[in-house]
Amino acid sequence: MEYQAHVRHMKDVQEGKKLVITIRDLSPGKHKYTGRVARVQVSRTPEALANWEKLWVHSVVGLKDPQPWGMKIVEELGITVPGKPYSDGDDRVHG
Amino acid sequence: MNTQAVEETVSVQAGQSDKDQRSFIETLRGTGDVVFVDKEVHWDLELGAISRRMTEIDGPAIVFRNITDYPGQSIFVDPISTWRRAAVTLGLPAHARIPEIYAEYIRRDANPIPPVEVKDAACRDVIIRGKDVDVCELATPMIHEGDGGRYLATWCIDVTKDPDTGWVNWGTYRFMIHNKQYLSGWPFPLSHAGKMLQEKYLPFNKPMPIAIVMGADPASHLAATATTRIGRDEASLAGGLAGHPIEIARCLDSDLTFPACAEVVLEGEILPDRNAHEGPYAEYPGYRSGEMGSGILMKVNTICYRKNPILSMDCTGFKDCSSVVIALGGGVDIQRGLERAGVPVTGVYVPSEGAVHLCIVGVSKGGREVTEKVLHALTGRRTYMTKILVCDDDIDIFNLSEVIHAFATRCHSRRGVIIKDIEKGAVALAACYSQEERARTAGATAAFDVTFPPEWDRWETPVRATFDKMYPAEVKKKVLDNWKSYGL
Repeated sequence: MEYQAHVRHMKDVQEGKKLVITIRDLSPGKHKYTGRVARVQVSRTPEALANWEKLWVHSVVGLKDPQPWGMKIVEELGITVPGKPYSDGDDRVHG
Repeated sequence: MNTQAVEETVSVQAGQSDKDQRSFIETLRGTGDVVFVDKEVHWDLELGAISRRMTEIDGPAIVFRNITDYPGQSIFVDPISTWRRAAVTLGLPAHARIPEIYAEYIRRDANPIPPVEVKDAACRDVIIRGKDVDVCELATPMIHEGDGGRYLATWCIDVTKDPDTGWVNWGTYRFMIHNKQYLSGWPFPLSHAGKMLQEKYLPFNKPMPIAIVMGADPASHLAATATTRIGRDEASLAGGLAGHPIEIARCLDSDLTFPACAEVVLEGEILPDRNAHEGPYAEYPGYRSGEMGSGILMKVNTICYRKNPILSMDCTGFKDCSSVVIALGGGVDIQRGLERAGVPVTGVYVPSEGAVHLCIVGVSKGGREVTEKVLHALTGRRTYMTKILVCDDDIDIFNLSEVIHAFATRCHSRRGVIIKDIEKGAVALAACYSQEERARTAGATAAFDVTFPPEWDRWETPVRATFDKMYPAEVKKKVLDNWKSYGL
């Protein structure tokens, strides 16, 4: 399956690193782009790209990294996360 | 698509605004300001791309009637993204000049008409509640590539209520689909809804009831975008703008009231203790500038819609609906504020090309002191304008060619520029602000004195080298009367 995510700082997405991000499902159909929160590990090793899910990363202004990452979902954290409105838990939600 | 604009043959009867979205569409059909697309169009970028291009060429509104995955649903795009459609909204002929549209808005704004509550709402043909709610069942486009998600609420009325005063706020704030039952949104924290949530609900850990309304009558949408004071009844403002009372109905799950003619209503609550990712999103400034993070989260409990609903959408970006309607309501609000501040204002224009960042103010007496007064009056709780031009009243402020000429020639490059730093309240969407400034809502506004100093001797003040100023009246009349006979 393929997913996309937006991150505040592209440099935070690094080889082997684990991140908490909102992943959006890119499967075609009415539910494309629906999101959930997960702790994931990303890698661009040939094994990861071949065997893991595919993740397309977008920057804070929506620019798409043309190279995908391999992504392994380490932990599902739910549809939504605890947090106050406007609290901007970016460290938590966006890696 | 037939994009040819035809000269309008109908104007709205008796100067009244249309009573619902469907009659508004029919009126626009009569004036040549809407087209219908029956070819299948995909909601995933294709619909947005068509709409964006149409917006940028100042084309007509579009009704998409054949959307992939969503048979029976239509989307009405860019209801008021041109001055022609703003004129029709106010019951004026579509060719009305911008100053006439402003004048009509001012007249109607000063004469609010209270709403009439009715029991039945048009949107109750289909009602979906509880666990059956799935917002993805509504035709919702992915408008621009790279947006954070599918924005369901763009041309909408977001209804909230102050629990202490009972004031019902109608505003227009963006919301995107997060998942089947959740929308994430980002009303500016200092907006009416943002303040209401933070001051009246969050301190008590209470959810805030909200309704998101789409496809209402054009006057109600226009009222929802107006920059009114807290406590002003926007339903009455809508009635004034429409020239007739707006029929309102109550929500099923709360006592919030909304235009009864609406095509779609989503009822729910803003959760005080949960959140989800929102943004980024390409907005009215004409950029996607990195406004992203934890905004607010709506849990949708009920969806109501008309059979074969026509959803409404603003294809946001350069020259979108927001930049026209905020220019209109905001311009009027600015003029009133300047009058209260004692500025000798003769007119205000917020051109849509300036994306609510640029304000042109006409004054009967200029100079640095007046320019400073204008600057301070326009940098309050929320500072939308980053550039303000203060012009002499011999300039037609609605004619950008004249304004640019005056700016280039009358504004002294040292004495004529006044800059004010904004420490809190700057609109974070301005593309010129850094990410750090956006986080602090900090920025700056520059005012340009585009007037000749009032202390200059009028016998020595330069005279414009134009047809209007360089010739005696009798010569001008003769030339104009004989223009064709010159073979021109």
